[in-house]
Amino acid sequence: MENLVFSTWGNWKDSPGPAQTDNLPAQFGQGKPLRAFMGWDGMFVRDASVNIVDMTREYAAQAANQSCGHCSPCRECTYRMKEILERICEGQGAEDDLDMLEYMARYVMDSSYCDIGLTSPRPILDAIEHGRDDFLRAIQEKKPIPRGNYVAKVTAPCINACPSHLDIPGYVEKIHLGRWDEALEIIRQDCCLPGTIGRVCVRPCEFNCRRGLMDEPIAIKALKRFAADQELIRGVEPGFSTTETKEDKVAIIGAGPAGLACAYHLGIKGYKTTIFEALPEPGGMAKSGIPDYRLPPDILNYEVSLVEKAGAEIRYGVNVGKDITIEDLTEKGYKAVFVGVGAPEASSMRCEGEDAGYERFMTGIDFLREIAFGRRPIEGKKIAVIGGGNVAMDCVRCALRIGFDDVNLIYRRTEAEMPADPVEIEEAKEEGIKFNFLVQPIKILAENGKVSGLECLKMELGEPDDSGRRRPVPIEGSNFIIECDAMVPAIGQVVVVDRVVPEGTELTRRKTLVVDKITFQSSQPNVFGGGDCITGPATLIGALAAGKNAARFIARYLETGECRPEDTDWMEKTISDLGVYDKEETMPFVGQTRRPRQAALDPSVRIKSFKEVESGFSRADAFKEASRCLRCYRIGLAAV
Amino acid sequence: MGSENVIVIDGQEFFFSAGETILQVAQRNGFDIPTLCYLKGASPTGACRICVVELEGSQNLVASCATPAAPGMVVRTETPRVINSRRTSLEVLLASGQHNCLAQDLSMDSWTDFQVKSMAAKGHDDLCPAYGECRLQDLAVQYQVKTNHFTPADVSYPIEDVNPFIVRDFSRCILCGRCVQACNEIQVNNAISFDYRGSKSKIVTEGDLPLKDSICVFCGECVQACPVGALIPKKDLLLERSSNETRKIRTTCSYCGVGCQLYLHVRNNKVVKVTGVEDVGPNFGSLCVKGRFGYDFINDPERLKIPLIKENGKFREASWDEALNLIAEKLTRIKKESGPDSIMVLSSARITNEENYLAQKFARAVIGTNNIDHCARL
Repeated sequence: MENLVFSTWGNWKDSPGPAQTDNLPAQFGQGKPLRAFMGWDGMFVRDASVNIVDMTREYAAQAANQSCGHCSPCRECTYRMKEILERICEGQGAEDDLDMLEYMARYVMDSSYCDIGLTSPRPILDAIEHGRDDFLRAIQEKKPIPRGNYVAKVTAPCINACPSHLDIPGYVEKIHLGRWDEALEIIRQDCCLPGTIGRVCVRPCEFNCRRGLMDEPIAIKALKRFAADQELIRGVEPGFSTTETKEDKVAIIGAGPAGLACAYHLGIKGYKTTIFEALPEPGGMAKSGIPDYRLPPDILNYEVSLVEKAGAEIRYGVNVGKDITIEDLTEKGYKAVFVGVGAPEASSMRCEGEDAGYERFMTGIDFLREIAFGRRPIEGKKIAVIGGGNVAMDCVRCALRIGFDDVNLIYRRTEAEMPADPVEIEEAKEEGIKFNFLVQPIKILAENGKVSGLECLKMELGEPDDSGRRRPVPIEGSNFIIECDAMVPAIGQVVVVDRVVPEGTELTRRKTLVVDKITFQSSQPNVFGGGDCITGPATLIGALAAGKNAARFIARYLETGECRPEDTDWMEKTISDLGVYDKEETMPFVGQTRRPRQAALDPSVRIKSFKEVESGFSRADAFKEASRCLRCYRIGLAAV
Repeated sequence: MGSENVIVIDGQEFFFSAGETILQVAQRNGFDIPTLCYLKGASPTGACRICVVELEGSQNLVASCATPAAPGMVVRTETPRVINSRRTSLEVLLASGQHNCLAQDLSMDSWTDFQVKSMAAKGHDDLCPAYGECRLQDLAVQYQVKTNHFTPADVSYPIEDVNPFIVRDFSRCILCGRCVQACNEIQVNNAISFDYRGSKSKIVTEGDLPLKDSICVFCGECVQACPVGALIPKKDLLLERSSNETRKIRTTCSYCGVGCQLYLHVRNNKVVKVTGVEDVGPNFGSLCVKGRFGYDFINDPERLKIPLIKENGKFREASWDEALNLIAEKLTRIKKESGPDSIMVLSSARITNEENYLAQKFARAVIGTNNIDHCARL
């Protein structure tokens, strides 16, 4: 409640109640107060000196600017509302202007197609209701009102949920209009690996899609893949708009998603980069951790070639920290360094015998890497894979494809707690993987130095732990043995960034690199970092976001010597704090449309090779699916 | 009702089949929900907001054309709120361009200024060519729209008339998108789409070039779909306004064997326009550039109406009997002197399949040659 002049925030929701007065953000960036905010759910004012008339003018201008122009109420009235407010603020307001404003605001809010029209008039009506005297005074006094300082941002539940904030409704609409190249252009502004992400993303956007409250979320991932595939299918040359070439060179450590994204976005800004990669091929975890049947190598290679075209040189087989140090790179003239070395090593299982060096025992991450480079890593007929995440899923499905007859997954909780993508679990079941739930390995058994079995304990679920999932508790005396002749633990990865960064660089207790959450700058001003090496094993899209944002701040550091978040970054945070997706929202009706399914190879066919399982949408399916988007754009405006 | 496929429209229950929109269920049961942007055969866009209805549980009105019926929906089609929204939509559309027909009910002092300004534009010195056939005008009259709420927008696009068939007048475009649907979904030519944003929105070809420099094939599907005076057949503009009534005569297109159904618009015994017949096969209203725009030959003075025989380098008129006898005699002589393979028959796409069959029969059985071909192979 502190410093709150008034708030209407939240009382536009379906079940009208009192406006929210608590837990509204009060700060905008470091030491800067948030004076007032206008947005999709109303407005709140903390500083009585904010000129509400002027702020409404700015908000209306943003709304008019965002109107796509397809439906008539929003197209024809948002700009008229803006013009009236401009007039009032210039001291030329008329008596009936307020009535007209309210009339149009209600009409747009009642009759528009998408949420730009349905939500943007809300705070305008609130402002008139709570500040009517201010508006009337402005009309009567006929004096120009000076412009205040505002920050605007357009978002949507899906955009806000995506770590890289892709303009999802924007490119979905372009796909609907049949403008695939323009859709891809929009995607590439925030994501340089659209074909890759379009195949393997964990898609937080889809879990925050309002269409999902109605029937099924938009198939955002598949639509992105469609746009990316169209470029390849039609042989379109992607356009780059690198206008200027900058002098300063940047070194990037690791050709994984974070490093590639950083190189790409620096390249677009005109910077030449050198990527140092320890392995002989690019892609990092996208290459060695994702099997070919989910991500064909030619897709990744094509997208890496575009990063190179944007100005990156990749040097393979260079192990930074061993062959060369960051200090050496600085001496060689690299003005900034981006560390994107990921989490490439397996974590320990804390199971007896895992360090004994048995044959036919290999960590999941090594197993996948060997397969990615075309080798059969271990011999055997019956394999046990331990873990419940996506890497474990990849291991079991790959094991089947390289000739194991009997593939067993061992997980200490139940299917409901598995962190793996439900689609992956489903496909693995279809392929005949055997799932063993509530089983904890305690000892690896071996004969003649070769794996021969696994001693396990049965588990049961207890109280929820920190992650919110119920904790598995061993059942005393339930020991049993699973026989197998090969074993792959896939229970997590660890970060090795301490071997790369200069001594004295700040690290966390988990040995991850400490960086600023917004700028990605480490405790060494010229060293930036992003991806798994700052978060621990996480998502591909998170790594791409880190690379993209770090590129922006590296450029800023090189140009000004400073590296501070911009107003738009703080705005992003303010919007996230307010929350854009309301999973409790009730929709007016239950939708009747389902998303199309991507065609998939039959399980009996696909387990015989590493051929891609899913094929993309047809043009007709993509068009139809894109038309389901509700375009939940929201506009936020902060007075600072 | 539960999961049964039943919706309530204005207090009455109706069954629907999965996938049907509110509009389809309502129209099937005799409700008159007006539409403007809705184009039969294309996917609904919900752009114009004329077909809005009240839906219980929804904060805002929904477009009935774009909302699939769902079990238990309660819909109201004619409440004051609905009528007010439709009327306002019509008002803003009328005020969005140079709709200087009488549907624009401005106050007297601003009306004259608006008319003068509107008619000053090149090609606007006469009434709107869509006058009397304009869907927006009809709806404005039906809903008794008063447009003095909104000042007419100051739009001045030069008329695009640099091709022989279609005139584009963006100052009268209401951006309903029917032309885009017609081009992309019905004819699948993908020549036009929406571009720019907000109040700057416009229907454009790739690169916003004139139609003649785009991939447009001038089938005129968009012209037939345009509900206002934004897309006009060029020949319409050249026509003198006449009080003589135009008659519509239904016939079959003579250009090829498909058999498209069309209307000849005839005035003073002259064809002045061709439109496709909606709702019947094989073309369901669609036509090609020839069928729609290639009708000048009918009244052309150069048109061959009776047979001509060339004698001493000059044509003279002849009777059909005389002409056919001459042809038969010459073909028989050539066949006798030089053999049947010295003759070739070239048939035409303008005749039917059956007639083409007869032409090859004539070549093979009567003349005795396989030298038979068809212009469509060229």
